[in-house]
This record gives sequence, structure tokens and C-alpha cells, in this order.
Amino acid sequence: MFDRPDIAKALQTYVLDTAPVMALLLDAEDRVVDANDHARRVLGAGAVGRPLAEQIVDFHHTLDVPAIIRQGDTVHQLTLNTAAGRPETFGFRFFSVSVGTLALASLDFQEQVELREQVLALNRELNNLTRQLYQANAELRELNQLKNQFLGMAAHDLRKPIGLIMTYGGFVLDEAGAQLSGEHREYLQTCLRAARGMKQLIDDFLDLAVIESGQLRLNLASATAREIIAGAEPVARLVAAKKGITLLVEEVDDTRRLRVDASKLQQVLLNLVGNAVEHSVSGQRVWLTSRWEGQNLVFAVRDEGPGITPEDQSRLFTAFGRTGQRKSAGERSTGLGLAIARLVVEAHGGRIWVESRPGHGATFLFSLPTKEEEKP
Amino acid sequence: MRGLLAHDHQTCRASFLQWLEADAGLRSTYEDLVRRSLYEVGDLWERGRISVATEHLATAISESLLNLTYPRLFAQPRNGKSAVVTCVPNEYHQIGGKMVADLFELNGWRGYFLGANCPVGDVIKLVAEKRPEVVALSAATSFNLAKVVSAATEIRAAFPDVAILVGGQAFRWGGRERVERLPGVRCLTSLGELEAWITEHGKHV
Repeated sequence: MFDRPDIAKALQTYVLDTAPVMALLLDAEDRVVDANDHARRVLGAGAVGRPLAEQIVDFHHTLDVPAIIRQGDTVHQLTLNTAAGRPETFGFRFFSVSVGTLALASLDFQEQVELREQVLALNRELNNLTRQLYQANAELRELNQLKNQFLGMAAHDLRKPIGLIMTYGGFVLDEAGAQLSGEHREYLQTCLRAARGMKQLIDDFLDLAVIESGQLRLNLASATAREIIAGAEPVARLVAAKKGITLLVEEVDDTRRLRVDASKLQQVLLNLVGNAVEHSVSGQRVWLTSRWEGQNLVFAVRDEGPGITPEDQSRLFTAFGRTGQRKSAGERSTGLGLAIARLVVEAHGGRIWVESRPGHGATFLFSLPTKEEEKP
Repeated sequence: MRGLLAHDHQTCRASFLQWLEADAGLRSTYEDLVRRSLYEVGDLWERGRISVATEHLATAISESLLNLTYPRLFAQPRNGKSAVVTCVPNEYHQIGGKMVADLFELNGWRGYFLGANCPVGDVIKLVAEKRPEVVALSAATSFNLAKVVSAATEIRAAFPDVAILVGGQAFRWGGRERVERLPGVRCLTSLGELEAWITEHGKHV
């Protein structure tokens, strides 16, 4: 029936004008000499006049295109570069005709449908995973909040008895120390040292719990770099001197002001100086400096200690991110100081980082941005 | 709507955000923008005015827009109650069910969403684990109504006390009476009805 002239004409019209079928006429050298509209849209007008073999993607040069063209009874999957700039695979069938070869090609419809279904399924899954991720984050935030509340309450309740131990222990040492034997005095001093360490840990816990629960309130006021450093310098000098370290504070000559919580930043500077001193040995130096870099005020604390490996640097600013570094005199620290420093700096919209090479000391830096209204 | 049919993700995104920011509220944005647009897209497809591919892409774009609500949605205070929401087996249209789960979240409940074509066994496992106050079953196509009935029956048998809600576009032309014959099963046909149900059963903390 399909060989009736009217039906054949209808099929020809549909294939050439409507269906997503490429029709290419090849001459004896397999050069494309004519193409229907669909083929010109898919392959571009430049397809006509070029050998078909040139338009086929054949990474390993294994295709014998002339032989394929002459196997008229098989569908060949061939990949062509399209006008859209991407390769597409078409099912080709070649027919020998009086003026050369007629190549008919189309995309695999079934494959396209399956591909669409797969993409839609993946998209659904991706959206569901996104939702689950947000939900899991919300649940983790709730748990973290509970943890902070617990930490805050526990730390708060522990502070009072530790305070009593330190106060009355101090009284005993001051008032009855002379009557104690050397050994008993040493016991008492060990107790007091341990109590001081515990108090420091509790204070850090409370700081961390307050910051992480989003309750950190910055008391912003106008200050210069000099004023910020001046607030931390006396205590920093004491800490350094106690271990025979020279603290060098670079004089900063500036009048530029920025809005910061100076006392919180002084806590950051003391944490950084304390950290530098912990990793230095007697006779070494620690530098505390500041400078402006464009609109950012940068503070730096440099030491001559053993330096930090790149692996340790990545963990430095996380809570309890203890590194493999050994303190120079076996000091104990809570492991929270740098994490607190990071949170305070970030609350100011700034960033904190370290520059170090093992064996060449370390420099801890933090920068604070100037807000628009503070610019001169 | 024009943006959806033109596959113009950016225009759809801008329009969605405009609705959310104009204080239309999440429920109204879901019901009056997303749901209405997708029903219209469905109608156009049924009348042969658009292809199934266009309908699928419109759904995919709409679903991706829901992600924009999550930072705000999941920051709501919780009331300790939870809902497990799922599409019945063989139901691949999941956006309606997801909007239901989101509405629970918006009202302080935890809304666990299992996704399209979910086996009833998986739903039962999650219900046993999470012990939610309610299980919501969604179906968009009417030939899945029988699946809703069988899923609700199985869940009821496993958990005699849990509330079961059913809904979705599948109920547009009926089926409510059939499913509500099951004990403790209620059919809700809009997000407005769902919000009223949530309010009745404990909204916020």
C-alpha cells in the first residue's frame, strides 16, 4: 500500500518537511551535496559541501566511514558535531540511489524519553535531598542550642565553687603558708594552679556558649588601633615577661578610627599573645603590630616558635582543634582561645588566619573592615 | 504562568520571591501561585495545548522554587509535633505532597517528606521510627485513588491511633467519601483546609 504514489508523496513530504529526520544526499566521494531543512538546522548550513566523514566524531579513528555508508541494510549509531556546538548521536541508514547515496538519520526517540525521565527523577531527588539537608541543619542547630544551654548552665554552676576554692586556698597560702612544710605548701600551690586552669576553662566555655548561641552582643564604639592595643598591652607584657619572652609592640601612628568592641578585640589580642608565648621559649621575641590595608585594619602577632604544619593550620580555629604542636613549657590551655578569637573577629565582619612554616615561627593575623560611615 | 510555559526559570524565580516578600505568606504563595499555575498547566496539557515535556519542565521549575523558602521555613520554632508526608506508590507528582510537608514546618511541626512513588513499607518504617501525630498521603492523578485507599488501610492496620490525612489533585473530581469511610482518615482538598486542621491540632509552641 505504501508504494502508492499519493502515499509515497505524503511520506516524502512528512519526512522532508516535518519529521525530525535528517536527509543528506552524498555524492560518489561521500561529500554532502544537499540536505533537508532539519539537517541544515541541526548540522548548520556549512554541512553541505563537506565530506560526511569530516563531520563525524571519531576519537580513535577506527571508523571506516566509506564501508559503513555502503552497508545499506544496517542502522549505524554515528556521532556528529551539531550547530549547537555539542555532539549528538544519530541512528543513520544509507540508501544507494541513482545520484549517489541518501543518508537518513534521526535521534533515538526512546533514548530521549528515557533520558528525560531520568533527569526529572534526578531533579526530584536533588530537591528532596536539598529539603532534607535544610531539615537536618535545623535539627542540628536545635541540638547545638541545647548543648550550649547545658554548657552555659554547667559552666555557670561550676564557677562559684571554683571561685571559693581559689579564694580560700589563697587565704590559707597567704596566712598560714609559713607554718606549712615545703611539701604541703607545694601541694596547695598545685591545687590552686589546677583551680586556676579549671576557672580558665569554665570562662572559655561560657564565652563560647554565649557566642555560639548568638547571644554575643558587641558594644561598638569608636577606637583607633593604638587604643585597642593599649588596652591589651599591660597584661600581654606580664604574660610574656613571666616566661622570659620579650614582647615588642610596634608603635602605630594613626588617627583613623573604626567602630569596634575594643574590650572583645583586646581579649582576642591576649589570646593570640598568650598562644604565641605558649609556643616560644625563654629569650625569644613576640611582636604585636597593626597596619592599614586599604579599608581594613590588620593586627598581627608574630612569634619565633616552632611554626605550624599546613595540616594543623586548618584545625587551629575550631573549638578543641588541638594540634600536634607541643607547648614549649608543657603549659595547659583549654584549646578554645583561637576558636573564641575567630568568633569575635567574625562577629565584627572580619577574618582571622595564620601564616607559618614549620621551623620559622608563626604569624596570626586578623583584619577588621571599616564600615561605610566610618570612612573619613 | 507565562514564565513557566516559556521555561524561563529566572522570571519564575523573581515572581515567586515577589509573592513571598509581598507578605502574601508561604501558604498563599503555594496555594495561589504555585498550585494555581500548575493546575492551569495541567489543564493546558489535557487540552493538547502544550506538550508533556513542557508540563514536566513547569513542574520541575516550580519544585526548585520551593527550595528558596527553606532558609526561613526551617528556622521556625518547633512545637515537638511531627507529620510524615508521602506520595502513594505509582504517584510521581510530588510537589503537592512537598508543599503539605512544608506547611507543617511553617506551623511549627516537623514535616518529614518521603517523596514520589514511596512504598508503603517505607512509610510504615518511618512512622515507627518518628512516631508522628499524623501521616499525610498525597495523590495527584485520579487513577492512583485506589492506591490511596490501600496505603491508608495498611497504615491504619499498623498504627491504629495515628491520624491519616489524604489529599491532592486526584480528589478534584471525587473520591472523598470512599476514602473517608476508613476509620480516622480525613480528606483535605486545599492547603487552606490543611492549615485549619493544623491550627485545630496544635499550631505553634
